[in-house]
Amino acid sequence: MSLSLRCQLERGSFSLDVDLAVPSRHVVGIVGENGSGKTSTLDMIAGLMPCTTGTIMIDESVVDESTTNVFVQPENRQVATVFQGGGLLPHLSVERNVAFGRGRALRSTARFDEIIDAFDLRRLLKRRPTELSGGQCQRVSLARAFLSPSRVMLLDEPTTFLDPDSRTSLRRMMKDSFAIYEGTIVIVSHDRTDIDELVDTVCRVQATRGVTTSATLSNR
Amino acid sequence: MKRGPSSPRGLVFIGIPAAALVIVPVVAVAWRTPWSNFWSTITDDTSQTALVLSLRTSLITTVLALLFGTPLAWLLANSRFRGRSLVRSLLVLPMVLPPVVGGVALLYAFGRRGVVGGVLDDWFGIRLAFTETAAIMAQFFVAAPFFIVVMEAAFEQVDQRIVGAARTFGAGPWRAFLTVTLPLVGPSVLAGLVLTWARALGEFGATITFAGNTPGRTQTVPLAVYGALESGSDSALALSMLMVVLSVAVLVLLRGRWVGALRRGGA
Repeated sequence: MSLSLRCQLERGSFSLDVDLAVPSRHVVGIVGENGSGKTSTLDMIAGLMPCTTGTIMIDESVVDESTTNVFVQPENRQVATVFQGGGLLPHLSVERNVAFGRGRALRSTARFDEIIDAFDLRRLLKRRPTELSGGQCQRVSLARAFLSPSRVMLLDEPTTFLDPDSRTSLRRMMKDSFAIYEGTIVIVSHDRTDIDELVDTVCRVQATRGVTTSATLSNR
Repeated sequence: MKRGPSSPRGLVFIGIPAAALVIVPVVAVAWRTPWSNFWSTITDDTSQTALVLSLRTSLITTVLALLFGTPLAWLLANSRFRGRSLVRSLLVLPMVLPPVVGGVALLYAFGRRGVVGGVLDDWFGIRLAFTETAAIMAQFFVAAPFFIVVMEAAFEQVDQRIVGAARTFGAGPWRAFLTVTLPLVGPSVLAGLVLTWARALGEFGATITFAGNTPGRTQTVPLAVYGALESGSDSALALSMLMVVLSVAVLVLLRGRWVGALRRGGA
């Protein structure tokens, strides 16, 4: 499994040029200042935004290509996401959030129990996201991501709004789960410790600001 | 003196007249309502017919606003097409337009000599003006924009990260809309429906202009109140009082549900 981006994004006065190749079982960290296109890069991989020109491939198959007009919908890309703030459904319990989209059967599998325990969610299953702390929300979000059958996992600043203790414990859980994950992981973070402890290679977005902003992100 | 930081004194004296202007008339209606024969007055033939008609037409209007307004509001909030702001302005126009003008506009669109109404009459023999359908159309014209505005604001506030996350976890566009977006805007649906229903129930100007004032067909409660007032009948007060009670009941009833729904929705 692998991930490859060779694409550009144009948005008004902002342009982003991405040239990334990440093999499977590899964790790449993206760092760079705010507004330089880190989240947009994740959105393009997830299929929440098309690239303007270029090609995005997951496992050697094209999921987004401007010249051939290919665009695989997000629900068909097998990309798991952990967004800032968790991106949880406020009207569903933790249990149903973790199992989102895959019905009741999943909740009685060994795999489900394993993930629930890995992220220490057993006591929180019946609660709703509004009753959880920031760290607990992130754990639910991570559990949901690791339980879904994905080829790529995207994490957008998973520890940013947490207190130091939750940050440390969440980092430990992520480290353990990353070790057994088969796919490719892309993590955007401002946190130096996240980068030092979780990431195999670091990739910095280089942005030049003027009347227009152009940014490049490359590891080739 | 109360302990604590002081607030601008005297504001209350400026505020009182405004409150009085709103509260005194409502109290006056309650005061002068002929309570001894209240029940017999609101159940006489004219009043009862008007009540049933009002309830039926306003509920139909509200359901139509829900069915057609929700997709429209979503489009306004989420798509970026040319002329979007023009469409939006035209759609909210009825909120600031005098309802009578709305009635005139409806008449010249759907009346027998209207742009669309003429065609309907010539080709299909359908006459809309001065029918119960016209009363519903008048109410929809005036009230539906309230629902659309509330829902558009609600759709705009939906956190697209949540919807996006749901998409990546396997929900197609329709499923994400039905199981994520709609539950997130749930509390606003309720608020929008109440506003729309209340506005439809009180509609007068557009109805009397486009639908007329035929008892049993287009004479809704506000029209019946006006008629009764002209003929000096007691039912003007009794029906007014009933509308006041109904409005207060709806506000009180929904306030609890509303707040609860907002909390559950995490908004």
